[in-house]
Amino acid sequence: MSSYRVRLVYVNFALADIVGLVVSQDNSCRFCYATQRMLMRLQGLSEARIQQLEGDLLKAQFAPREKLALDFARLISRASSLACGSDKDRLQDAGWPEAAVRELAFLAAAHVYFNRIHTLPAIPPERGERLSSHWSLRFLAPVVGRILRSRFVRGEVEALPAEMRSGPYSYLVLALEGLPAARALRRLLDEAWASPVLGQRTKALIFAVIARGLGCALSEREASRLLLEAGLSADEIGTILAHLGSPALDPTDAVIVPFARETIRYRPAEIQRRARTLRERMPAGQFLEVLGIAALANAVCRLGVVAPAV
Amino acid sequence: MTAVGWLAGGLGACVAVLGALHLRTQRTLGRALERLETSSAELERLQHAFTRFAPEAIVERIASSGIPSMGERKEVTVLFADLIGFTATSERIDAGALVRILNGYFERMTRAITAHHGHISTLIGDGILALFGALESNPWQSDDAVRAALAMRAELFEYNQELAAEGLPTLAFGIGLHRGTGVAGLVGSSELMQFTVVGTVVNVAARVQELTRLHRVDVLLTCEVKAKLNPSFTLRALPRSEVRGVAERVETFALGGVDPAAV
Repeated sequence: MSSYRVRLVYVNFALADIVGLVVSQDNSCRFCYATQRMLMRLQGLSEARIQQLEGDLLKAQFAPREKLALDFARLISRASSLACGSDKDRLQDAGWPEAAVRELAFLAAAHVYFNRIHTLPAIPPERGERLSSHWSLRFLAPVVGRILRSRFVRGEVEALPAEMRSGPYSYLVLALEGLPAARALRRLLDEAWASPVLGQRTKALIFAVIARGLGCALSEREASRLLLEAGLSADEIGTILAHLGSPALDPTDAVIVPFARETIRYRPAEIQRRARTLRERMPAGQFLEVLGIAALANAVCRLGVVAPAV
Repeated sequence: MTAVGWLAGGLGACVAVLGALHLRTQRTLGRALERLETSSAELERLQHAFTRFAPEAIVERIASSGIPSMGERKEVTVLFADLIGFTATSERIDAGALVRILNGYFERMTRAITAHHGHISTLIGDGILALFGALESNPWQSDDAVRAALAMRAELFEYNQELAAEGLPTLAFGIGLHRGTGVAGLVGSSELMQFTVVGTVVNVAARVQELTRLHRVDVLLTCEVKAKLNPSFTLRALPRSEVRGVAERVETFALGGVDPAAV
């Protein structure tokens, strides 16, 4: 899901970086914020220019077209109410091509994923923060910057092969067709679903709870379909999603389900405290996988805006 | 000394003065940037602190263009808590002890409410108005509010043990819970504003809280809360009662605890 590994076709690297800053700031992810700053330095932006941009983030002094894009990214990240068709229309009216809007949505969702990956296990941000003002960046910037900028390449995108057109959440992957993001999302979802560390049922439960919490009907329907395939009845799914618990849950799922809900909106210190409690109740591998799946589910459910309206 | 020597000396002095000026400017600039960074961080912290009391969108609107006058209809669960007989107690004890008892109570109740996704809208004397689902939509708001009430009960039990050990009067509360639609927004004057919910839903919760005295229970909830509640909570139906401002008699339920077999 990394915006640094996924080729961008429409959103230029400068805006992509600011989207990263905006979303990381919104999610209070110090680690991602520091990393984003460092990457901007590596791309040749001076410390003064970055500080100016940070000032503008607060005062929102961007060109109207850019400001709309940043507001859209913030809307996706925040998900107080899910982004919808009219939000996309507003961007298109301002001149953003339809595919660019989808790419923007993907980019914002990717940062939602990263923010959770780094914040939930409390990865210390200090080292990244120190690195962004390290003297060596001046020398590394020309080379690394060139590599980073190479992710922005216009041109044709290959169609998705048949084997990538099905699988969990394929409606979202197909909605991203025409963008390199489609393949990246498909691979990530397939890898997540293929991992043996957590059962299919647990993964689908995490997705379903987060979809319910965000009010994302499409994602909830897909997660419920996966839960039915995993052996839960419709009544059991209904009870679990209505109350975040049920006698049908095994002891591990009974602690994972309420935790998944906490990852939707959080304050870093509070979610990290809850994550530590969860860690005490399961092996490290399982714990890390819960965090990864929860982060992915948060990104995927927020990305629902790219799917065609039903 | 030759003219060239004088010239070189003069140039050297100029360079030294310019260098010193440059260094001084750099230092001043550095200090200014440091101050700017501190104020930016302060502003960010302030914004984050504000989001504890109002939705982020409203906080941003305040930061960019002043107090908004927008309101939004929202489904919320309202928790209204009030101390029983505290007015009489307050006249018997020392003012300092009174404030300490109240602050300790509010501290514990706030902890119980926020740990269950509620937020304190306002404190009215010794009363607490807390909202669930007002800051962000919350499909689990009834369960959250009832869990918060149970946590408040446990906190009060512990607090009373501490108070008794110190020879101070113990406390008793009544809690009313009701769910419905209200208008959420920033309400108040230019001097004092709060993010709250207004509407019948709040009035009914307050009146249901008053019924706790009549039924001699500590937590009462309405059918609207029960309808969306996890069946693992044990409830006892009480006779319908008249409630000021509501045409029909209101059915309420006393909250027991959690049935471990049903979890």
